Amino acid sequence: MEDKNIYENPREVISDALLELGEKNPDIVYVSCDSSLGASGGPFNEKYPERHFEFGIQEQSAMGHAAGMALNGKIPIITAYVPFITCRCFEQIRDDVCKTELNVNIMGNNCGFSVSALGPTHVVLEDVGIIRSLPNITIVSPADGPEYRKALHEIVKLEGPVYFRVHRQKVKRLNGEDTDFEIGKGKVLKSGKDVTLIAVSSTVSRSLDAAKLLQDENIDAEVINMHTLKPIDEDLIIKSSTKTKKVVTVEEHNIVNGLGSAVSDVLSAKNPVMLKKIGVNDVFAKVGEYEEVMDYYGLTPEKIANSIKDFVNK
Amino acid sequence: MPKISKELATKLINKSYKGRKNILKMAKFGEVHIGGAYSSLDIITVLYNEIMKHDPKNPDWKDRDRFILSAGHKCLALYVTLADQGYFDEDVLWTYNSFDTRVPMHPDEKVLPGIEFPTGSLGHGLPVSGGIAITAKRDGDDYRVFCVLGDGECGEGSIWESAMAAGHHKLDNLVAILDRNKLQVNGRTENVMSTAPLEDKFLAFGWEVKTINGHDFNQIYETLTSIPFKKDKPSLIIIDTIKCKGLNFGEDNFKFHHWHCESDKVDEGIELVEKVRREELAKVGG
Repeated sequence: MEDKNIYENPREVISDALLELGEKNPDIVYVSCDSSLGASGGPFNEKYPERHFEFGIQEQSAMGHAAGMALNGKIPIITAYVPFITCRCFEQIRDDVCKTELNVNIMGNNCGFSVSALGPTHVVLEDVGIIRSLPNITIVSPADGPEYRKALHEIVKLEGPVYFRVHRQKVKRLNGEDTDFEIGKGKVLKSGKDVTLIAVSSTVSRSLDAAKLLQDENIDAEVINMHTLKPIDEDLIIKSSTKTKKVVTVEEHNIVNGLGSAVSDVLSAKNPVMLKKIGVNDVFAKVGEYEEVMDYYGLTPEKIANSIKDFVNK
Repeated sequence: MPKISKELATKLINKSYKGRKNILKMAKFGEVHIGGAYSSLDIITVLYNEIMKHDPKNPDWKDRDRFILSAGHKCLALYVTLADQGYFDEDVLWTYNSFDTRVPMHPDEKVLPGIEFPTGSLGHGLPVSGGIAITAKRDGDDYRVFCVLGDGECGEGSIWESAMAAGHHKLDNLVAILDRNKLQVNGRTENVMSTAPLEDKFLAFGWEVKTINGHDFNQIYETLTSIPFKKDKPSLIIIDTIKCKGLNFGEDNFKFHHWHCESDKVDEGIELVEKVRREELAKVGG
């Protein structure tokens, strides 16, 4: 694991990766709902204008169009803010994309508290929950720059629908450029024996920092980056929880139907051990600066460590 | 307007009324969305017999014209037409309403050849058709996309979103057919939710529009052979139709949107439909 204190903007990483993909595969098309150019589609649009399709502010229609394009053998990447590309067009995702198993890649920008100042219409903490409830779809939510790049290459290759979550805040480099990335396979970033921390996206580096703080308390935490939320890596969850007997999930998402629930589904059926879910407890988001809001919801390394300490010592 | 030949008119009437009778036979097995199937059947018959490039033996032929039934509940009209064209054996129709049938109440592309896309929830077909059409245009493919809409369906916002997009992107390879039978589940569209004036709305969104009698094979044929109506514009054909056309006790009656048919009504219905077929044939001198 690398720890070089490098911070990257996911949108810039994706922007570069889109150019690589565009070069490699002429079937890749970009479907925009009036927010692509600033998000990651600008350079792709400049280089491949004939493969950049603008639909303005009409996500339901755009999702249907993306399905039609995929039916025609294209590999659409459709993008908008998380609320509009998940909640607004949920039924189009269900009927037009998931039922048909088409190769539509849904890129939800600004997941979690990314744009916390914009308030609860734009801060959607339910996206994993609603998308997870659909058959046939894969959900990927990378943690750092190299992972965003590799993941984008992999989801495009995967036949079938994918929901790809993109954070707006800069992410700390955790992996080398040549990091392995396999859809559906979580990664153990730190091994430990006392408790398993399972995190996703922004909370991975925060959980690693929390694990360092826990070392001072003689708690040896294992930290897993669960970049694929569906299908979730059951084997890894069972293996780690068999060793530690205690599991904590950490997510920048509602604890209802998010990572914690997905892990709970596995544990309750296959290896019942104590589980603590750290995240947002079923409320609409408060407004504020990103770090301020993360602190309010207990998602700083210090607060994560404290919660875990109480849980492990119970 | 030039008349189609007597032979062609006879063929189309016979096909269309054979389809109506087959739908009635399917009604023996369960509830049928008969009203919209009957109102759209004449144009679907002309499309598959005379207009669309397609090959029942090779449903995935790359250069075929695409047909998307946005108003998926009208699928009985599509099933009987596809069976008649040889996409599958007619016996499949008699599995209607049985467990895991290939002809469910809304079409499923996974189980039946000739179904391009699963529809049923309204407002989905036009955006999907636009997605096919826009990529076909960019690729320089010359096939067309035909999409059948219902008038009640035009209450869905996604219809207007995609109508706007088709005009904006100049999709002159897209042909929407709007079945204006003027009824929806709860009654007359003008009372449930007035979608009129449909012509002006689509014109305003950049379409070229023609309104025709949806049960006049001459008008249907003439109109379908003159698309696109205008270069760089999507074409809309509003077919003025009678819901449940051909079954006189159900015509223009919203209760026949979906119909639980008593079994003794099937034979009576078939006789009535046969009578209308003969009347239609007489009109063209057949």
